Amino acid sequence: MNQQAEPARLMCSRCDRDIDSCEFCDEPECPSAICGRCVDLALGQAIAQPHGHGG
Amino acid sequence: MSPRAAWRLESFGFTDVYDYAAGKLDWLAAGLLTEGTNAERPRAGDVARRDVPTCHLDDVVGEVRERVAAAGWNACVVVNDQSVVLGLLRSKEVQADGDLRIEQAMRPGPSTFRPFVPIEEMAELMVGHNLETSPITTSDGRLVGLLFREDAASAAHGMHRQSESNSGGEGS
Amino acid sequence: MPEAIDRDDVRRLAGEGAQLVEVLPAGEYAEDHLPGAINLPLRRLEAEARDMLDRSRPVVVYCWDAA
Repeated sequence: MNQQAEPARLMCSRCDRDIDSCEFCDEPECPSAICGRCVDLALGQAIAQPHGHGG
Repeated sequence: MSPRAAWRLESFGFTDVYDYAAGKLDWLAAGLLTEGTNAERPRAGDVARRDVPTCHLDDVVGEVRERVAAAGWNACVVVNDQSVVLGLLRSKEVQADGDLRIEQAMRPGPSTFRPFVPIEEMAELMVGHNLETSPITTSDGRLVGLLFREDAASAAHGMHRQSESNSGGEGS
Repeated sequence: MPEAIDRDDVRRLAGEGAQLVEVLPAGEYAEDHLPGAINLPLRRLEAEARDMLDRSRPVVVYCWDAA
């Protein structure tokens, strides 16, 4: 009986979240793939964060 | 905060008060100049090349390739009439079958980045991911320019050298 | 009622002599602010607005974003 192998899952290299492709370089087989949230964190460390309070 | 401030100023008797509701984030995302300590650090919008060739979905790869090469480039950004980024042709896609329409050959919906992103962090990620180019756009998706990995790395390297110089060189 | 405006309006009003006021804390103002903007944190509005601002000129207030 044939059993189809599951396609390899791509995971964020920083937070292990399942992703379809790297959110930085768009490559589905990026060896350093990261999710959108981790991209924002990586790029946002040097700028002020949007306010989560005080409307 | 700004709506409350605007209303309070009116209660003080100020009669001509406006609220820039979209705020500083909107201003930065549009690539407009600011003042302050962050303004002295190079950002993606400062380093991106603004004269990048553009093309449209209905264009043909062969014609675009000739035009791009004649301008000395090997990449092209696909935009609509409002300069909203729809796709990207990096060096690999520019070499596609010349009869294809751009819409068929392009990388659709590429990751884009805002002009205010610090260049050091962009350079680190572009080198780490071996990414040739990144479109830089405003928050409404309009093209600001194309950031090249070598330009980002060079700008980041220049910042490191400046930082080392400022912290004091070797004694004479 | 204060009028909500966009960045094109801000540029036009600034060119006409409007006072730009960032109401965020001083540290955030120091990092980035609109050209020519002064800093008047929301908590200091009561004590300082009447002294720092000219009533005869338009005032444009802003913070980080609309969220």
